[in-house]
Amino acid sequence: MRKFLAVVKHEYKKIVLKWTFLLATLLFPVLGAAFAVIPALIFSIKGEPTRMVIVDPTGKIAPRLKENLSKEKTAKISLRDESARDLSVSSQGQMKNIAEQAGETFNFIEYSADAKSIEQLRSELTGKITDKEIDAYLIVPPNYDSPAAKFDFFSRKAGDIISNSILERATNGAVRSQRLADANIEEDKVKDLSRNVNFSKTTINEKGVEKSGEGIFAVAFIIGMMMYILLMAYGQQILAAVVEEKETRIAEILFSSAKPFELMMGKLVGVGLAGLTQLAIWIFSALVLAGIGLSQMSAMGINFSMPDITPLTVAYFFIFFLLGFFIYATIYALIGSMVTTVQEGGQFAMIPIVLLVFGFYMSFTVIRDPNSTASFWVSIAPFLAPITMPVRILAETPPFWQIALAILLNGLAIAGLVWLAARVYRVGMLMYGKRATIPEVWKWIRQA
Amino acid sequence: MSENKTTLHVENVSKHYGEFTAVNNLSFDVRAGRVFGFLGPNGAGKTTTIRMIVGITAPDEGLIELFGERISNETQNRIGYLPEERGLYKKMKIVDQLRYFAALKNVSQAEADKRIDFWLERMKLSEWKKKKTTDLSKGMSQKIQFVSTVLHNPDLLILDEPFSGLDPVNVEFLIEIVAELKAQGKTIIFSTHLMETAERLCDDIILINKSRKVIGGTLREVKGSFSKNLIALRCVGGSEVLEDESLVAKIITHADEKEIELAENADAQTLLKRLIDSGASISKFEQIEPSLNDIFIEKITETNA
Repeated sequence: MRKFLAVVKHEYKKIVLKWTFLLATLLFPVLGAAFAVIPALIFSIKGEPTRMVIVDPTGKIAPRLKENLSKEKTAKISLRDESARDLSVSSQGQMKNIAEQAGETFNFIEYSADAKSIEQLRSELTGKITDKEIDAYLIVPPNYDSPAAKFDFFSRKAGDIISNSILERATNGAVRSQRLADANIEEDKVKDLSRNVNFSKTTINEKGVEKSGEGIFAVAFIIGMMMYILLMAYGQQILAAVVEEKETRIAEILFSSAKPFELMMGKLVGVGLAGLTQLAIWIFSALVLAGIGLSQMSAMGINFSMPDITPLTVAYFFIFFLLGFFIYATIYALIGSMVTTVQEGGQFAMIPIVLLVFGFYMSFTVIRDPNSTASFWVSIAPFLAPITMPVRILAETPPFWQIALAILLNGLAIAGLVWLAARVYRVGMLMYGKRATIPEVWKWIRQA
Repeated sequence: MSENKTTLHVENVSKHYGEFTAVNNLSFDVRAGRVFGFLGPNGAGKTTTIRMIVGITAPDEGLIELFGERISNETQNRIGYLPEERGLYKKMKIVDQLRYFAALKNVSQAEADKRIDFWLERMKLSEWKKKKTTDLSKGMSQKIQFVSTVLHNPDLLILDEPFSGLDPVNVEFLIEIVAELKAQGKTIIFSTHLMETAERLCDDIILINKSRKVIGGTLREVKGSFSKNLIALRCVGGSEVLEDESLVAKIITHADEKEIELAENADAQTLLKRLIDSGASISKFEQIEPSLNDIFIEKITETNA
């Protein structure tokens, strides 16, 4: 037992005290934070005010449009609450809201259009754009009310989707107000009557407990991804560590000091604890970041509800990480003791990688419909459950017996794999020079 | 430890790998406090035997007793094993590796640290303590590996080709340390196919070939049993003594000396005395003893035939 602990300590320190571990551990939350914060930061950088000329022969649209585009009005649009949604607001792009909040400004340049033909106007205004006197111009057609009417907008910054969409929306609003006024309809009345219903999405699980629907997809995806990356990375660690001891012949010294089984299990447990340390840091920082991110987003008027993450859920993550770790680490240890170099191991490592990738893809099936038959089977299946079950627990916690079944089946798989790997390890680690063939390995398994 | 105490007892041990017999009915004893030469050509079964002694593999038949006990995890802690094929962790500090190897032999960390300092000092490698293996020269890593074998103060040292890859200065240095350890009462099993070194170091030897024991005993006995009672003689006069058939069986005359094969039951001392008495003037009288190398080659060719 003392020797086993010595191996555990050795393997744990070997990974955790390396600067790459620190880097990977820190990098994940930092990247996560970056993805959450950077888009908002980028859009908050204000562009220069757009210098614009509005040519309105009717004189009816331009004042309304200018009012719509005034600072007070754009600010009001972006800060509106749910109930104030009006017809013109599409549901697209919450990002736009953030951008609008940043505030786009328009400076209107006076321009006299009297008695000039459309062609004249255009060439003159286009000239002003090339001379950088103005940035854009909009020509309001005289027949603004006709379905054939075309509003021509020319801009030096046609790629600026944000100001374009604001302008388009403001123009629509201005024309609609004018139409309503022309038809003698009270605009406020229409707004009031045509407001959107309050469509609140809530998922109800089998126990009848309500669960907020939005955000589950993202969080479940992140968890699936995290499991996949960790299992892959730590499996490769095991492979490299086993091959190193074989390649450098340290195995010979180790085997003359402790039992092969002690050495193998010590290695698995030590590396597993290192992985657990990393997962714990990640989950903790993810929860903290999510807390900050959510409060920030709700301050911006975005409703993004998190799935409930209870201590039990976190405990399940750890359990399934450990199950997955022991399954894949044992496979990698088995491969490592069969081959002579890491490169050679790479060919065999396709087997666990394919299983991991399959599990990761299956987690999408689970996210889409956590209670389907397919989701049930993939979330209890050995090799897949360590990725799919945590995803399913997040998406829609299944009955306890299914979680227990997944733990049991994967536990049995681990027992079987450890049994196999121990037999291959004790012989394979002392075989130098050539890669073991499958019949040889089979012989070791039977003989031991 | 008394001279006669047995450290290692190997009795009728066999090990098979499928059809192949690696060790066949091997028996020998290693006495405490002595240097035991475990000799044989490559593939004779030396490494397999050593692996059974250190508990890496178990014999299929026979008995191995170490310090009067069956091989176990306890006996493993009292052995220091330097394998022929050996290495260190590439990217780990020397001190961390040594601590780990000591911990695997049940040495507490405080004790291990003390001994690591002592041995690194002894090996003149103290300033390399915090360095990684990749910074070390080959000779240095060899010495570090030697340190890892003796860190837990083992009673039995098994050194498999310990000098391979070392320069002559370091070979002498290690031989000195082995002699010190022997003086402390440690038993040393020394496996090699360098006969000159074995002849210099070993008190007892065993020679194995093709998985079987060929010859064994103290170095003296082995050499004695191979002596063909040959004498190299250079002298003037005494020819009547050499004609005595009760003393001399055969004379081969070389350019400036004679090779004399003694008659059965005759001994060299009598011959020398008779020659002196006869008034012969002797410039060379030497009992020719076969070198370990000669015995090795002769025995191996014989058993391979």
